[in-house]
Order: sequence, then structure tokens, then C-alpha cells
Amino acid sequence: MLDVSGLSVSYGMHVALAEAVLKVDRGEVVVLLGANGAGKSSLIKALAGLVRYVTGAHIRLGATDLTRLAPHQIVGAGLACVPEGRGVFGSLSVRENLTLGAYSATDHVRFRDRNELVLALFPKLKMRLRQSVQTMSGGEQQMVAIGRALMSGPVILLLDEPSLGLSPAASDELFAAIRRIADLGTGVLMVEQNARRSFAIADRAYLLENGAIVRSGNVNTFLDDRVLIRAYLGGD
Amino acid sequence: MELMFAGLALGGLYALLAMGLTLQYGVARILNLAYGIFVIAAAFGAYVAKVQLGISPIVALLFSLPLGFGLGWALYSLLLLPLVRRTRAGPQLDIDSLLATFGLMFVIEGALLWIFGGNFYSYSYLSHPVYIAGTPVEANRLVVILVALALTLLLHVGMNRTRLGLAVRAVEVDPATAVLAGIDARTISALVFGVGGAVVAVSGVIISMFLPFSVSMATEFLMKALLVVVMGGLGSISGCLLAGMTLGFGETIVARFIDPGLTLAVNFGLFIVVLSVRPAGIFGRTV
Ligand SMILES: Nc1ncnc2c1ncn2[C@@H]1O[C@H](COP(=O)(O)OP(=O)(O)OP(=O)(O)O)[C@@H](O)[C@H]1O
Ligand SMILES: [Mg+2]
Repeated sequence: MLDVSGLSVSYGMHVALAEAVLKVDRGEVVVLLGANGAGKSSLIKALAGLVRYVTGAHIRLGATDLTRLAPHQIVGAGLACVPEGRGVFGSLSVRENLTLGAYSATDHVRFRDRNELVLALFPKLKMRLRQSVQTMSGGEQQMVAIGRALMSGPVILLLDEPSLGLSPAASDELFAAIRRIADLGTGVLMVEQNARRSFAIADRAYLLENGAIVRSGNVNTFLDDRVLIRAYLGGD
Repeated sequence: MELMFAGLALGGLYALLAMGLTLQYGVARILNLAYGIFVIAAAFGAYVAKVQLGISPIVALLFSLPLGFGLGWALYSLLLLPLVRRTRAGPQLDIDSLLATFGLMFVIEGALLWIFGGNFYSYSYLSHPVYIAGTPVEANRLVVILVALALTLLLHVGMNRTRLGLAVRAVEVDPATAVLAGIDARTISALVFGVGGAVVAVSGVIISMFLPFSVSMATEFLMKALLVVVMGGLGSISGCLLAGMTLGFGETIVARFIDPGLTLAVNFGLFIVVLSVRPAGIFGRTV
């Protein structure tokens, strides 16, 4: 579904991402792994249209060429993004955040369905629809952020370090919800430092090193590699 | 009683003036320095319509809405949007847009001075008294109060009860996240400049109905609007109403009982009191 090649990002002279090639299909969870500064966020932001990338990149979502769209049109085309550090409207209520998530969608019947889906995924939000998001805990805010992204009915969902700052229990809960999202048909591409936990729910992974994708494959093949385990999964 | 209506009219006017500015400044993040001169231009427009063309100010009021909207929209799309593009909405935009709107202010001011000179203008319209509970109130004051309240209500409902209003608030609180929700901040900004323009036009027509005005008052109106915006909390419609009324009543009472020369002192006195109690304004969010 999401088909990317030749994607490069530079900040001045510094090349943060070089000729990235990747694919994400409906229904799968793909983890993007890499050390600090490897270029993971740059990749996510480039896909969402939030940073400029070198011209000539190929980014297609199904039949749509995303490189021709303005950032605000990319959501409507089916690619939703939760950036690093959330992406919620802090002073607005949970309900308003979710309503805004569906801004690019126009059909009201599906609005109801999606709203129900989000509340089924994150039942904690049900009691807090009127609460202002900035007064919620980090984990709850992350649920709102993902809920907001889901309200646009995305084909592919991009998540940049969704478990950042969450307790192990809250992370597990979040990852379980992410798996459910994929099982319901949305493809998920997520950046994660917490490789061990995220691999438990992921299908495939890409490894970024200094802006280049150096390895990709089924998560099992990553788990078989002792060097990788030591470097990214912590311990052995 | 009479004092109350005078305060309400002035307060309503200040509230109205501030609403257009709070939207433009709060949502598009551009401080429009030409705001005050547009108000005066609209007042002159109503004057010409009434005195030379014999068009009733009420009719002028109706025409001023779409005209003001169009001008506001054009101001953003033609003059400011290129700056937004060039600076990529970065810090340079603040300086560039200040210079651009400051320049525009001088152009319009020059044109108005050339046509009308620096004198005070006024005309008489609905100045006969209407008796409310035995108190005489000039009818034009009632028009001012009603229009100000109606527009406040309209904007409040529009901002808080509609999908588009929600999108406007989203851009106001977080432009970066708004993009992720599929909202085009530039379209919303142009819209908001249009609404601000409509509010400016209505304010100008209203002012011409009950106050003598001159080109030199543009800065005063800009200042007062800015004062009310900051007091009410950036982007808050109900904040504008409350702060505008506070200022209007404060001025009226001081001018009546102490000395009309003190109004400016009262303005800033109230300003300082409000902000020392609530630094983000009456309805301001602490960011
Ligand atoms: N706006 C920017 N201007 C200049 N350099 C930048 C900018 N954003 C990122 N970089 C640089 O690009 C490289 C990749 O950054 P990126 O944020 O994509 O890394 P990351 O893999 O997400 O790291 P982390 O795990 O710390 O989030 C880094 O060397 C970073 O310093
Ligand atoms: Mg990052």
C-alpha cells in the first residue's frame, strides 16, 4: 500500500536520510529501529509532508502520489501521523480532538463508526470526553493522539515513539491497542526505541543506521541475530 | 441609567473592535497594524454614503459586512500570504508582516487625509431619544449595543458550535497539529482575516453613527482594540466582550464623574490590574 523509494532528507549539508526504500501493507505492524539521530523521525516527517525531502522521491499510497500533495492533504489521502511528542490539541477537549481528527473525512456515517472504534480501543477515553487533553496523563494523551489520527480513517498510520515516557504497563496496553488497529486493517509504521516490547506485536522491521536502511525483514530474523539483540534490544 | 447605556454602547464598540483583531492576531498570528485605519475608512465610507448619497447607515451596515470580508480576505491572500510563504511562517514573518501592515496603514491614512483632511466628521442619525424605563437613550446608542451583542453572539456560536469554528480554534491553539488533522492553516487564516475585515467595517459604520471621528483616531482605535485583546485573552470572544465592557464602563464613569482627560489613564490602569491578577487575560489560557 505505502510504497516508498529514493527518499532522502538533508538539513543543510547534513544528510539525515539517504535513499530510503520501504513498504507498509494494510494489516501489518512495521517497526522502524535505529539509534538516536539515525533519521527515524526525519523519515516519518518526510512521509507526512512535514519536512522537505530531496526531489525525485517516490512515495505512493495505493494509486495516489503523495509527493504531489500539500501536508494537509496527505491525511485525506489516507496517511495519518502521530509525531514525536504527541500531536494533540492540548487546550481542547478529548471530544474536540477526535472531531478534529475527522476533519478531512466528510461522511458522517463513518464518523460514528470510527468514533465507536476509537472508544472501543481506548475505553478510558469514554469517561473523559469533556476533559481538556493537557490535564491528562502521558499515556492518556497518547491514546487521544492515536485516536485523533484514527478518526481520519487512515490506510496507513505513522507513529513516532508512541511509548516514549510511558510506564511498562502503559506501553504494553498501548502496543496491544496498536496490534488491534493493524488487525482491523490499518497498516502501522512505528518508530520504537523499545524494541523488545514492540517486536512482540510487530510483523516486520527496518533498521536505520546513519540515515541509511541497513537491514529489513521479519522480526524473527532480527531476534535471531545476537549482535542486533545486544545493540538494540538490550542485554541478550 | 443613562450612564449605563453610554457605558454599554462604548463597551460594546470596544468589544466589537477587539473581536476582529483577536481573531486575526490569535489565529493567523499576524498583528495587523492597519486595523485602526480600516475602521476609520469604514466610518468615512458610511459618512459619504449617508451625507452624499443619502444611503441610510443601516443599509451601509449590511453592505459593509461582505465588503469588509472581501477586503480582509484580499489583504491576507494578496499582501500577507506571499510573506507567509517566503518566511515559511518562521520568526521573520513577525517583522515582515508588521512592516507590511504598517506601510499599508500609511498608504490608507495618506489617502484619507488627502480626500477628507484632518478634521472631525459626524452626521446625525437616529439621535432622537427613545425612552427606556423613563430614561432617555439616543436611538443610535441602542443600535450600537444591539449590533455589538448580536455580532458577539454570532461569533461566539460560530467559534464554539460549528465544525469550521472548531477548525479555527485548532489552528489557533496548535497550527502544527492542525496540519496533521488535515486543516489548511492558510485557508483558515484568510477566512479569519475576512471575518476580521467584516467586523472592522461594521465597527467603523457604528462609530460614525454616534461619535465624531477623524483620521487621527485610527491609532487610538488600534491601541484600544489591542488593549482589549490582551485583557480578554488572545483568541477569546467572550474575553473581548468582558474586557471591552470593563473598559467602556470604566471610561464612561471616570469621564462623567472625574475628568474626561483621564480616560487613557483609566484604560491602562484597568489593563495593569487585570493582567496582574490574570496574566493570560480574563479568558486566557496559560500556555
Ligand atoms: N531541523 C533540523 N535541523 C538540522 N538537523 C536536524 C533537524 N532535525 C534533525 N536533524 C538531524 O538529523 C539527524 C536525524 O534526526 P532525526 O530526528 O530524524 O533522528 P531520530 O532517529 O528520530 O533520533 P531520536 O531517536 O533521537 O529521535 C540528526 O543528526 C539530527 O541532529
Ligand atoms: Mg526521533
